Amino acid sequence: MQLEKFTYDNKIVRDFGIATIVWGIIGMLVGLLVATQLFSPSMNLGNQYTTFGRIRPLHTNAVIFAFVGNAIFMGVYYSLQRLLKARMFSNALSKIHFWGWQLIIVSAVITLPLGITSSHEYAELEWPIDIAITLIWVVFGINMFGTIIKRRERHLYVAIWFYIATFVTIAVLHIVNSFQLPISFLKSYYVFAGVQDALVQWWYGHNAVAFFLTTPYLGMMYYFLPKMANRPVYSYKLSILHFWSLIFIYIWAGPHHLLYTSLPGWAQSLGVAFSIMLIAPSWGGMINGLLTLRGAWDKVREDVTLKFMVVALTAYGMATFEGPMLSLKQINGVAHFTDWIVAHVHVGALGWNGFLTFGVLYWLIPRIYKTELFSKKLASFHFWIGTLGILFYAIPMYWAGFTQGLMWKEFTDEGLLKYANFLTTTLQIIPMHILRSIGGALYLIGAIAMTYNLAKTMLKGKLVANEAAEAMPLEKEITNEDPADKKWHRILERKPMKFMVISMIVILIGGMVEMMPTFTIESNVPTIASVKPYSPLELEGRDLYIKEGCVNCHSQTIRPFRSETERYGEYSKAGEFVYDHPFLWGSKRTGPDLHRIGGKYSNAWHYNHMLDPTSMSPGSIMPSYPWLITQKLDISMTEAKIRAMQTLGVPYRENFDAVAQAKLKEQAETIAADLKQNNIDVKSDREIIALIAYLQRMGTDIKANKTTIPSNQ
Amino acid sequence: MFKQIKDLAGGEFYLIASLLIFMVFFIMVGVYLIKMNKAHIAEMSNLPINEPQTADGYEEV
Repeated sequence: MQLEKFTYDNKIVRDFGIATIVWGIIGMLVGLLVATQLFSPSMNLGNQYTTFGRIRPLHTNAVIFAFVGNAIFMGVYYSLQRLLKARMFSNALSKIHFWGWQLIIVSAVITLPLGITSSHEYAELEWPIDIAITLIWVVFGINMFGTIIKRRERHLYVAIWFYIATFVTIAVLHIVNSFQLPISFLKSYYVFAGVQDALVQWWYGHNAVAFFLTTPYLGMMYYFLPKMANRPVYSYKLSILHFWSLIFIYIWAGPHHLLYTSLPGWAQSLGVAFSIMLIAPSWGGMINGLLTLRGAWDKVREDVTLKFMVVALTAYGMATFEGPMLSLKQINGVAHFTDWIVAHVHVGALGWNGFLTFGVLYWLIPRIYKTELFSKKLASFHFWIGTLGILFYAIPMYWAGFTQGLMWKEFTDEGLLKYANFLTTTLQIIPMHILRSIGGALYLIGAIAMTYNLAKTMLKGKLVANEAAEAMPLEKEITNEDPADKKWHRILERKPMKFMVISMIVILIGGMVEMMPTFTIESNVPTIASVKPYSPLELEGRDLYIKEGCVNCHSQTIRPFRSETERYGEYSKAGEFVYDHPFLWGSKRTGPDLHRIGGKYSNAWHYNHMLDPTSMSPGSIMPSYPWLITQKLDISMTEAKIRAMQTLGVPYRENFDAVAQAKLKEQAETIAADLKQNNIDVKSDREIIALIAYLQRMGTDIKANKTTIPSNQ
Repeated sequence: MFKQIKDLAGGEFYLIASLLIFMVFFIMVGVYLIKMNKAHIAEMSNLPINEPQTADGYEEV
């Protein structure tokens, strides 16, 4: 056997690194803007493209898929080549992967402010972009498995298992959560409705956190931390146990996002049980990481990259302890829909994802540029201001979450809600929101300092685009095989395809048990006779509600608590959502729940409230929507929308699409006439009319029901 | 009001079956771990730090 000479592709690593930094800064800037909007409505900038509802998804998509996404690819492309002693499978695929991913991000930056959204959280992008994501993901997969196949190292190190699990699971999640029926180039409806749609979305949402924000980062941790500390991982056995338990358990826990909703009780309990179990494998990873530094803590004092890693692992430990705690029903009852959840995700995002990314960037850029870091002092400044930023972010948000959650539930001695006006609870936490944005700004300043530091480092050095390396080729036939080599995991470590299939089976078990009964057993989603499909105008209004991103601040699901039924009305039943493609339950109550808003106020109230929320609710932080009054409602697709709904099983009568326009206009005239009586002169063909129609319909169907509705319907 | 949480209406089956599936899986991984070969573990855990250095060894910045 002769030593083979080859090169590592550092250029693609550098490119993904730069993209990570650029999108990171943009994503955080948008984050800062949305944070200021929550205490100063003027920061919505007075136009429809920059309102909170439209750009909050831009922030989440930018930091998750652009910042973290590019960081994953940077880390994978660097470590995979070295762990396998092989150059990436194809330079062309690497390039397609890089540019394809950037194009997808650009398309998100364009479509989300335009209100082109599917409304599923963290999966807002419309169907053509979903297809592009699938294609680019496959390109990444081929490139990764191609490299694995031509490797010069027989065994696959634990980091690579995490990369494989990431690839497989994200593919499955993305495809299942993108089952949509397109009605035009940029509009589609989810195939599932109501409770089922909610279950699919949160199975996706939860596991996107698991397999996009966690497993690839654990893989990176298992490679970069031993490199930085120059010692092997604390326990390789623990890494095996931690890997298999983590991917097995994570997938079951999705329903903890839907506690106290109308999701079947057994599915909620299943979510809770597996969430608690999830502490073990999560902490297995954290402990394995921190103990890798045993006997090397003196290095942590001097090496800024290790400092970032230690805080990242600690934040991971905190977030993964808190997650299971939040899934306990008693805690969830207070914390859900409040800023507590925002604090929780940001401990993970800023601490775990952000700091690990920064650590890797500081370690990797000087190495591929064959130089020293421009300024260690500046990096140290970044570390401290970033840590301070996390604290200034998280602590006020926890405070705000507790405060608001408890205020919502407080009753007077007479048995009345103490804070009957929702707005009181919003105004109470404004100082916390101001502090939070200061925290975010500190964190951003740190990231800008890093950008300057790394740019200077790049200018100082010269990129080694193709780094020379050498290794023995892999023997085709393994002779004198050690009997231990026949053990299943040893075989798996050599057979990437089998490994992929087994990980897929492991993750599918949880998904199937969770979802199959809800989809196949009819009694799990009982129907209510009085619940009827939306009228054409209401359907158009609903699409405006989706377009404006109302779901980002308003939930549509009333939990069975006295504090909620007192405040909002009858709690939500599964059968009420059967025609909701997609479901719009939301996950955060920056404003009040809207499920029983129908009939609560007059049409005139809604008109004035949308035009200037403070006129009806003094002090309100909701942006105003004057364009709804001037813009004409687009009814060019109404027929197509009705037909699409029929295809999805919504029981409109036959040929209803033909009369849909006439019905729509008739209902619009009635609303316009009612507004006119209240001295509001508005044409019946404006967007506001459709939105009012939808708001007035919401949650009213069961009022027409003559018989009692049993629980969980 | 809280019936939907207390009364799983046959849902206990899903819970118990799921936990059993996991226990079996966990025990399988556990047994494998106990039987693992020490030399192999050492080899595997050293993979990232035993990389061949490049000719000029600049990785040691």
